[in-house]
Amino acid sequence: MLIGKVTKGLAVAAALSAAGWTDALAQEGTLKFGLCFDLSKSYTFVSPQVAQAAQDLAALTNIKGGIEGHKVEIVVQDHGNEPQRGIECYERLKRDGVFVFDMLSTPVSIAVLPRIMKDKNILMQSSVGRGDAVDGSVFTQIFPVGATYWGQAANDIAYIKQQRSGDLKGAKIGFIYLDYPFGQEPIGVLKTLAEREGFELKLYPVPLPGSDQTSAWTQVRRDRPDFMISWLLAGGHVVAAKEMKRNGYPIEKYISVNWLNEVDIANIGPDVAKGIKRGTNVVGGQDIPIIKEIMAELYAKGKGSGPEKNLKDVYYNLGLANYSVAFQAARNAVKQAGWPVTAASMKVGYESLKDFDANGLLAPLTVTAQDHGGGGKTRIEMWDGQKWVPQTGWLADYQDLIWQIVKTSSSGFKAE
Amino acid sequence: MFYPLAGVRHQSYVSDSKLFPVPTDRNLLIVLTVAAIAAPFLLSSLYLNSYVQPWLIWTALALGLNLATGWAGQLHLGYAATMAVGAYAAVHAARFGIPWEFALLIGGLAASLIGSLFAFAALRVKGLYLAIVTLAMQFVMDWVLNHSPAISGGSHASLQSPRFALLGQEIASGRGLYYVALGWCALVTVFMMNLQRTALGRALVAVREKDYAAAILGVNSFYYKLIAFSMCSFIGGIGGALLVATFFFLAAPEQFSVNVSIQVLAMIIVGGLGSIIGTYFGVALILLMPGIANEIIANLTSFLGLPLGNETLAHIPTTVYGALIIIFLLVEPLGLGKLYANIRDYFLVWPFDQFKK
Repeated sequence: MLIGKVTKGLAVAAALSAAGWTDALAQEGTLKFGLCFDLSKSYTFVSPQVAQAAQDLAALTNIKGGIEGHKVEIVVQDHGNEPQRGIECYERLKRDGVFVFDMLSTPVSIAVLPRIMKDKNILMQSSVGRGDAVDGSVFTQIFPVGATYWGQAANDIAYIKQQRSGDLKGAKIGFIYLDYPFGQEPIGVLKTLAEREGFELKLYPVPLPGSDQTSAWTQVRRDRPDFMISWLLAGGHVVAAKEMKRNGYPIEKYISVNWLNEVDIANIGPDVAKGIKRGTNVVGGQDIPIIKEIMAELYAKGKGSGPEKNLKDVYYNLGLANYSVAFQAARNAVKQAGWPVTAASMKVGYESLKDFDANGLLAPLTVTAQDHGGGGKTRIEMWDGQKWVPQTGWLADYQDLIWQIVKTSSSGFKAE
Repeated sequence: MFYPLAGVRHQSYVSDSKLFPVPTDRNLLIVLTVAAIAAPFLLSSLYLNSYVQPWLIWTALALGLNLATGWAGQLHLGYAATMAVGAYAAVHAARFGIPWEFALLIGGLAASLIGSLFAFAALRVKGLYLAIVTLAMQFVMDWVLNHSPAISGGSHASLQSPRFALLGQEIASGRGLYYVALGWCALVTVFMMNLQRTALGRALVAVREKDYAAAILGVNSFYYKLIAFSMCSFIGGIGGALLVATFFFLAAPEQFSVNVSIQVLAMIIVGGLGSIIGTYFGVALILLMPGIANEIIANLTSFLGLPLGNETLAHIPTTVYGALIIIFLLVEPLGLGKLYANIRDYFLVWPFDQFKK
C-alpha cells in the first residue's frame, strides 16, 4: 500500500519535472539570468534583497518593453552555500539555457569558477568571490563589477587622508576584522599604504562569527586610533557598536566595509548609530529615480516580487545596481551583435560599458577587456539618524598599488 | 521467491563465509554494476556528472568514515580534515609534476599519517571525549588552511587542480571522470565487503562492541583502533583528492569545513552504521535530496501557479529534507540500510511467512 503510494507520488513528481522542463523550453525567446543564491544559510542577510531587486528590475524592464524588445527572466534557486549544490544548480540552469550566472557566495563562486571558464559562460561576481577576478585579461568570463576589498580599503584610507587635510603622517588607524579570508584580505594593502603614507596601522582580529569582540575593543581603548576601519559582517557591527559605547570610542570614527545595512542600523538603534560610516559603490536610500519608478509601477499596483520593506535596504540597491549593469550589458550586446544574446556577445556588451551609473544609482563605471571591475570607485556614506549622506565624491585612489596586487594574485591562475 | 534459498547448502566454513550466500544478492549486484557501467549512455550529463558522480565519490568517502565509526565504533567528527589533508597533498604533488596515480597515493598516505598521529592522542579517550578531540582536529585544520597561503593557494584560498590523468591518459570528459569515480567507489565497496569477512574486520567489530571484552579475547584494542583510524583516513584522503580532481577542479577550505564533517557523519548515521548498502542510501538522501526536493517543489509551485517568495521556496525543500531524515530514523533507527534489510528479510521467506500467521 505504502509502496504504491510512494510510486504514485514519484510518478507525479516526475511528470511535474517533465512539465517544468517543457515550460523552460517554451520560453526560449527570453534572456535568462541564473541566480543560484544562498537563501537558507550564511548569506540570508543579503540574498533575499538582491534576488527581489533582480526580479523587480526584470519586471519593470519587461513592462517597459524588455531588453530591446526581448523579455528578461530571473531564475532563482537556493544552494545553501554548499559548493556541490552550487555546482548542481549551475549545471541544471546551464541545461535550461542560462549562460549568465550570479552565485552571491564566495565559496560557491570559487567552486563554479573553473566550470564557468571552461564553458565560456558569464559569472556576475559583484561583492563576492576572488578579488583578482577584476583582471579581465586572465578571468575573461568573470565580471566582479564594483570595487574589490583591496580597492575599498584603499579608498577608505584616501577618505581618512582627506579628513586630515592630505596628511596621514603620525596618524593611527585601526583595522578590526573577522579572522578568516574575508577579513584578512585588505591587510596587505593597508600595510603597504601604512608604509607609503607614514601612518601607524593597528590590527585587531576577531574570531568568527564576530560575537565576541571584548578583547579587541579593550586594545582599541588603550591604543585610541584616529579611525577604525571595520571588516565585520551583519551582527558583528552591532556587537562593535556596543563595545564602542562601552569603551568610549566615538562611532563617527567607525568606517565599515560595504556590508552594513538598515537592519544592522535598526539593531544598533538608528539614533545610536548616528555618524557611523560605510564604504560603498552603490548609492544608499530610496531617493533614486529607479527605486521611485519601481515603487510607482510595481509596489503601488501590488506587483512587487516580495515584501515592500526590503526596498528600504541598501542591499536592495546593491541588487538593483548589479542587475542594471547586467541588463545594460545585454542591451549593448543586442545592439552590437543582435538577438539572440550569447555568452560571447554578453561579454563584449559588458566590456563596452562606459561611464554607466544607472541614472545615479552607482559609481560611474567603465568596464574594459582589461578591467572587469569598472574602475573600482567607492565613496563614504554616513548614517545621519534617518538616511545615508554621502561624505565624499566617488573615489578610486592608489590604483597603481591595487593593480599591482591584482596582477600578482591573478598571475597564479591558469585557465585550463 | 525473490531470494531463493533452495539448493544453498554450506558444508564448510569457507563456503559459509562466501561474499554472497544468497545468489540473488550477487545477481542483483551484477545488474547494478552493468547499469552503472552503462549509465553514461543512459543518463544526460547533468544527472551523470552533477548527481551520480558526486554520489559515488561521497559514498566512497562515507564508507571510509563508516569503517572507523560503524565498524570500529570510534566517533569521528574531523573527517573533513583528513579529506583536506589528502586533497591538498595530492593537488600540491600533482602541481609539482608527479603523475596523478602517485599524487593520489601521496594524498592518501599523508592523510593516513596525520590521521593516525591525531589518533595517537585522541585514542587515549573514548566516546564523547573522542568526538570532541576529533572535532579539535577539524578546527586545527581549518585554522591551518585559513592562515597558511602556501598550502591553501594564496589570499583567495583556492588551489587549482591540474588536469586529471591516469596512466598517461588525460581524463577531461564527463564520462571519463564518472568512470574514475565509479572505479574508486567500487574498489572501496569491494574492500569493505571483504573486510567484514576477515580477522581484522571481526577484531574491529569486537572493539566496537566492548573494548574490554575484546582485550580479554586477546584483541589489542588500541592497535585496532589505530588501524581503523589510519585506514579511514587513507580512504578519506584519496576520496578528498578525487573530489577535488574530478568534481571541484580546485581546492578551497570551505569544501572541507566542519559542516562537511557533520554531513558525512549524518550520511552514515541515516544510512546505517556498519552497513555498506545503507551508506549508499544515506549519501543519496543527505547529498542529493536537497537538490531534488528543490526541483520538485519549484516545479510543483509553478505547475499549481502558487506565487511563493524566493525565501519560502528555499525553505520548503529544507523543511521537507529535515522531515524526511526524522521520518526515516523514526521508522527505522538503525538507518536506511536496515530498512532495506527488513524488506529483504521479508522477501527471503515470502510467500511462506504468510502461512505462519
